[in-house]
Amino acid sequence: MPGIDECLLEAMRLPGARGAALVDWTSGLALGTVGEFPGGDHEAAAAEAAEIARLAAEQRAFAPVDDAVAADPPLEDLIISNRDSYHLLRFVPTSFDSSVFLHVCLGRSDGNLALARIRLGEMAGRLVLG
Amino acid sequence: MTHAVPPPRLPVRDRAAAPDPAGGGGVSPMLTRLAAERATGVLEREHGTLHLADGHVVHAESPFAPGLADLLLAHGTLTPDAWRQAVERADEERGAGRLLVEAGLVARGALEICHLGAVYDAGYFALAPSSTPGRFHYGTGHLLGAVRPVTVAELERETLRRRALLHRLWPQPLVDTAPLLRTAPPGAPGPATAPAARQRAVLALVDGVRTAPDIARALGRRAFPTLTDVRRLAAAGLVAAKPPPAAPDPPPGIALPPVTDPDITLLKRLRDALEAL
Repeated sequence: MPGIDECLLEAMRLPGARGAALVDWTSGLALGTVGEFPGGDHEAAAAEAAEIARLAAEQRAFAPVDDAVAADPPLEDLIISNRDSYHLLRFVPTSFDSSVFLHVCLGRSDGNLALARIRLGEMAGRLVLG
Repeated sequence: MTHAVPPPRLPVRDRAAAPDPAGGGGVSPMLTRLAAERATGVLEREHGTLHLADGHVVHAESPFAPGLADLLLAHGTLTPDAWRQAVERADEERGAGRLLVEAGLVARGALEICHLGAVYDAGYFALAPSSTPGRFHYGTGHLLGAVRPVTVAELERETLRRRALLHRLWPQPLVDTAPLLRTAPPGAPGPATAPAARQRAVLALVDGVRTAPDIARALGRRAFPTLTDVRRLAAAGLVAAKPPPAAPDPPPGIALPPVTDPDITLLKRLRDALEAL
C-alpha cells in the first residue's frame, strides 16, 4: 500500500517527469517532494502551485454544471503548459478534511500529457484508498 | 522647502533572522535543544503539546485544533470502534496508525496526509507565543507510532510561514481564538464579494459564541484552513472578533473625564498587536 513517498516515486517514473510533489493548497506546504522543480526551489514551487490550485478550486466558473452533490474539491486537474514543460496538478479527494494535490512537472519533449493525466488520477486514488 | 522627516523605524524582533545551526528556527530555543539532543518525550506548552521521538516531532495536539481522530471520525473515514480498538492494542512496536493500515481500515497515504495536517495545525498553536515556560517530560513516543515524523526545523519554519500567511490575509490574530460575530459588509454583497462555498459553511456557524476552532470542530474540518476562511471573511467585512466584555462601571463618586483622544484607540490597537506577537 503506497504512502506519500512511494506515490511520488511512482509519479517520477512517468515519461519525462522532472519533479513530483504532494502539496497542501491552503497552506502551500509540500508534504513530500521528489526530483527537481523549475528554479530549483521546491518550497517556492509548492507555494506558487498551491495559490493557483486554490484560486481554481474556488471559482464557480470551473465547477461542474450538474454539481448537485457539492464535491470537495470540485476539480480533477489543472494543466499548465509552457515552451519547455507541462505542469499537471491533480486534486486528491479524501473522505476527511484535506486540501492536497499531486503536482508533476514533465519535460515537453519527452513527456506524454495524456498518459500522465490518466496515471496521476490512478495514483491519487491508490494513495488515499489503498 | 521642508520635508517631513519619516519617523524612525521601530525595532522589529525577527525570530527567523538567526536560524540556529542545530536546525531550529528560533521559535522555541528549548525545542531546538531537544531536537539537537535527539530527545524522546512530551513537550507541554501553553497552547499545545508536541510529542518527540529521537528529536523528531511524531505527533502534536492542541485544544485549538481538531486532532487526527477527530478528523478521521468526523466524516466516517473510520468508525469510533475501529479507532478505539487500534488505540487499545497499540504498543511501542506497533503504533495505532500502523495497526489501522495493516488491518486495511485506512490507506497509508490517507493516514499520512491526515496526520501531517493535524500535526502542523496543532504545532501552529503549540508554538504560539506563550506567557508560561514549556515543560518537557522524557519518556516514550506517542501510541500512534511514527506515521510520518517531521523535523523540528520543518515544523518551526512552517509555523512562521503560516503566521505570515494569515497576517497577509487579515492582520488581527484575535479572530483565531475569540468568539466570532457576523458583521454587515459595507454595501450589499454582490456576486463578486460572495464567499466561497467552504467559507459560507463557516459563516453559517458564526453566532457570537463559537470561536474559529469551535467551528472547525463542528464541521469536522482542520483548524488551519478554518483560520484562513475566518481571516478571509474578516477581511471581507463579514466577520469580526467579539469584543471582550466591557470593564465594570467605575464606582460612583469618581468623575472620570470623558476621553475622546484618538491616541487611546491607537495605543489599544498597539497593545493588542504586541500581545499577539
